[in-house]
This record gives sequence, C-alpha cells and structure tokens, in this order.
Amino acid sequence: MKTITADNMAASQKQPHKADEGSTRQLRIKLVLGLGLLAIFIILPFLGLSGFTLSLATTILITGIATTSLHMIIRMGHVSLAHGVFMGLGAYAAVLSVVKFGLPFPIAMIFAFLAPAALALVIGPMLLRLSGKYFVLVTFLLGEIIRLVFVNWQSFTGGSNGIFGIPLPYEGLADPVAFYYMTLIAALLCIGFVARMLQSDIGRIIDTIREDSRLAECAGIPVLRMKVTVFVIACGLAGIAGGISGFFIRYIDPTSFSIVQSLNFVVMNIVGGMFQLAGPIVGTLFFVILPEFLRGYVELQRVIFGVCLIVVMAFLPTGIVGLAAYIRHQLSRWFK
Amino acid sequence: MSDFLTVDGLSRHFGGVKAVNDLSFTVKEGEILGVIGPNGAGKTTSINLVSGVAKPDQGKVVFAGGAVTGKAPHLLARMGLVRTFQATTVFPERSVHENVLRGTYLSRYPGFFAAFFNTPRARKLAAESEALAHEVLEWLGLETVAWDPAGSLPYGYQKTLNMAIALAAKPRLIMLDEPVAGLSAEETDHVRDTILKVRDRGITVAVVDHNMRFISGLCDRVVVINQGSRLAEGTPKEVLSNPAVVEAYLGKSHAAAYGQ
Repeated sequence: MKTITADNMAASQKQPHKADEGSTRQLRIKLVLGLGLLAIFIILPFLGLSGFTLSLATTILITGIATTSLHMIIRMGHVSLAHGVFMGLGAYAAVLSVVKFGLPFPIAMIFAFLAPAALALVIGPMLLRLSGKYFVLVTFLLGEIIRLVFVNWQSFTGGSNGIFGIPLPYEGLADPVAFYYMTLIAALLCIGFVARMLQSDIGRIIDTIREDSRLAECAGIPVLRMKVTVFVIACGLAGIAGGISGFFIRYIDPTSFSIVQSLNFVVMNIVGGMFQLAGPIVGTLFFVILPEFLRGYVELQRVIFGVCLIVVMAFLPTGIVGLAAYIRHQLSRWFK
Repeated sequence: MSDFLTVDGLSRHFGGVKAVNDLSFTVKEGEILGVIGPNGAGKTTSINLVSGVAKPDQGKVVFAGGAVTGKAPHLLARMGLVRTFQATTVFPERSVHENVLRGTYLSRYPGFFAAFFNTPRARKLAAESEALAHEVLEWLGLETVAWDPAGSLPYGYQKTLNMAIALAAKPRLIMLDEPVAGLSAEETDHVRDTILKVRDRGITVAVVDHNMRFISGLCDRVVVINQGSRLAEGTPKEVLSNPAVVEAYLGKSHAAAYGQ
C-alpha cells in the first residue's frame, strides 16, 4: 500500500548522511503545535466563554484521553471496537467506588484505571492473537457482553436506568472552571504518558509489530507480551476518561458507553490520522466541535459524518494529519 | 566441531500431505551447511519448524545443548538462533538504517520503564545499538543506501538487508531461507561473499536453497531433502555425484543419461 506518510516524504527529500535532521525538525514542529494547543486550553476559561463552551472543552479533553489511548492499540494494527465499553467499565468502577463504597475520589480514579486494565490483562493474551477482522469482531462482541452486564446486574449497576445523582467528589468542583482544570491536568498526564511511550523505544516496537509482526518476532521481540502490555495501559487510560466523564455528567447508563461510542473513537482516529499521535487529537477536536456547527441540521449530522469518513478512507489513508503534512511538503517544494 | 543444532525425526503433516517426514540432520558449530532439494521437498517447512514459526507434529530440535522443540521464534532469537524469510521481508517504508536498528531489539531494549524514562542505561544501550547497526551496514556494504527507504532498493539489496536485520540480533546460528532466489548471477556472487564473511565472524550458517551451483560453491556440507526426508548428506562433491540426488532433481530418464 503506497500511502503518503511523513516518513516516506522525509526520505524522498534529498537527504544528506544525517539521519535525524528531518525527523528532529518534525518533532520540533509537533512540539510547538502541541504546546500552542495546550496554551489555548489553559487560557480558555479566561476568554469569557459561556458555560456551554466550557463544558464542550471539557468533553474534548475527556474524549481526547479515550481516543489517544485507543490510538496505541490501532498503532499495533488492531482496531478495537470495545474501547468505549472499557471507558464505561472505568466510569462504573469509579462511580460505584464512591456511591456504593464511599471511597475517596483519588482511590476511585485508581479503580477507574485498574478495572478495565485488569479485564484487558485477562482477555488480552487471547484477544491479541487474533488479527484483522477477527479482532474487530471479537472486540465488538466483548463490548456487547460487558454492556449486557451493565444492563442486567441491576442491584449493582442500576440496570438500564443507570446511576444518577452522582455526587461531586469535592465541593470545589461544583465550579465548572475548577472541574475543567482538573480534567485538563488529567488529560495532560494521560496524553503525555501516551506521547512519551510512542516517542520512546516502545513506540518503535509498536510500529515494528504493526508493519511486520512475523519479522518482529524473529528479531526477538516478544510480540504478544508487548501487545498485551500496551493494550492493558490503553484500556486503563480509557477507564480514567470514563471515570472523569461519570463525575462530569453526574449520570451514567449503559447506552453512554455503547458500541456507538467505540465506533466514534475509531472514526476520530481514522479521520484524524491513524499513524501519528496528532491524528486522534485532531480527530477529537474535529468530531466534538463539528456537531456544534451543525446544530440546526441534526438530521444532516450523520450524513456529513459519513461523507467525511468515506472521503478520508478513500483519498486520505493518513487522515487530516497526513493531508497537512502533504500540503506542507508541496508548499516547501514551491517556495524552495 | 561439535553438533550445534540437532534435528531429530522432525515431522509435520498438513492433512494427508507429509510436508516433512522424519527428517534428521545436524549443523556443526562454525560451518556453512546447505539444505537443498527440489521444489516442494519441504525445505521451507523444515526451516519453519526449526525456527519456531511452525510447530512440528513429531521429533525434536536441540540447539546449543538445550531442547528447543516448538519454542517461539523470539525465544530462539534470544538464544542466538535467527532466521530470514524467503520473500524479501523488510519494512519497506522505513530507511535501511531504521530497518537494521529494529533488528537490534535484543541488545537494545532496556525494559518498559527504563525505555519510558530514558534512563542512562537506556541511552547507553541505544547508543550501542546505533553503533552495532552502523557496523552491520558497513559490513554488508549497505552504508551508501542507509537513508533510502528499504522498499526503493533493488531486489538484491533488499535480500542483503534481510540478512542485515537478522545479523543485528547478534545470532550464533543464522538460517537463511533462499537468500538468492530471483537474483542475478552477479548478485548471487555478492550474497555468497557476504555469507562467507558472516561465517568468518564465527557465526554458524544454515542456508536453504535449490540453486545447486550457489550451494556447492559455498557450503562445507550439504543435506539433500526430498519429499520431506533426508535423501543424502555429505560434501557438495559427494552429494552431487550421488545418483539418487541426481534422480530426485532431474528425473529418472535424465538421471540415466547423466550416468552414461
């Protein structure tokens, strides 16, 4: 598959015998863009925005944790349709820790990480042996099974009615700005963790496994163990996103963490760009903000989403981020 | 020279087809062993069985004194048994340098937390693996194309890169699956020289191919496989003059003509 990738382009530019010149520059551009985005998120509450816009920003941050963690699984070559449900598992774990067991909020968030991570650890070794469509199918079924548990374990999860009236963890978080900043810190830690992982040798191993798992295995990489490790971390991070969202919306029910949610995360990754961390971040911004511009045309929303997805799948295998890199490359050729 | 790798009674059936049937041979430390046979003789299946890519139904494999039958490829690589694949198997979109760097995993990866926090030990190992990659590239004559995407290289270079990735794992025994399939005579000679250089570094080589000329010009010993079993074993000269081998390769009537 010949696609436009940043790597490919860096290589097609006449390169001197210095390896990292191009990639260091790219890294610097990404760092600047990332810090710029962070700066915008930091000053956002001071811009006199409506409460609605601030809650939208909080949603972006929570969704961003979920999509960037899913990105790690997709980078290994697996499209998981259970990520929304793993997020839900974290939400239920956190909320039930507080509501049923009266545990303090930080402990609840630890459980939000541990519950989906533990499930991922148990089923990961079986699941990650499957490839391509089989993995997709089985994660889909897994998601449905967990959803049915949420629905049917009424005494514990509240069944289809869900759990409402979830108390705020702290009095101070009643202020939307305070909650926003707490979410921002959590998102920074989680996405920073993912970024660091992908930037380190672990990221190189993840890419190696996706590109040729057989060759990776013969180079001595314990492919399955590596996959399970990354899968467990990714599902745990999704759980943190779920925990925060439970206390943010203060209501959880099985439908908020269904297959639709999982699909949305996958679509955000694909449209943003599957093979770079910037992809899910751009995809999240795009897909959380876009519907707000389409408020007046609710019935058109799904259609426009669908068209976006088809266009990107057909013409932009590397997503919006790939398109940006392509345009930059063309511009730099023009202005040389 | 002691037995480095012992294959004893190895069998693998696919349905009713006996791809490998009671195959036994040994590789001695420091030698270049050729494994040849006509198409469909079970050469690739046997290398898959030995390297853990496929599991044998019966038989055992002993490597460097330990039983390794059916062990996963990454564990065998850790012990020093590394293989290449018949088709060019490289990471086509990555640079040649990056390809070789990926082969250095075993000596490079410091563990999850050390890698995550980029500890001094992780940095030291990364620098060492960088040096190792450079050494391998230089050694195999790939340093001039080090920054080209692997997929853009001529076929012969890609085959050499296959070997470079395997050598980056610092093997004690390297198994090459058809390293010259589809190469020109010139490229074949280059690969032969490279394999000889590899052996001179003290790495034992087992090479599977059906190119008689290539194998006989390279190997110390040859094992001939036919229909999944060992047909003959010996020096290239002995094997080539063995009527059974000629028959397997050329068929009965030709063998008769050859004998006259």
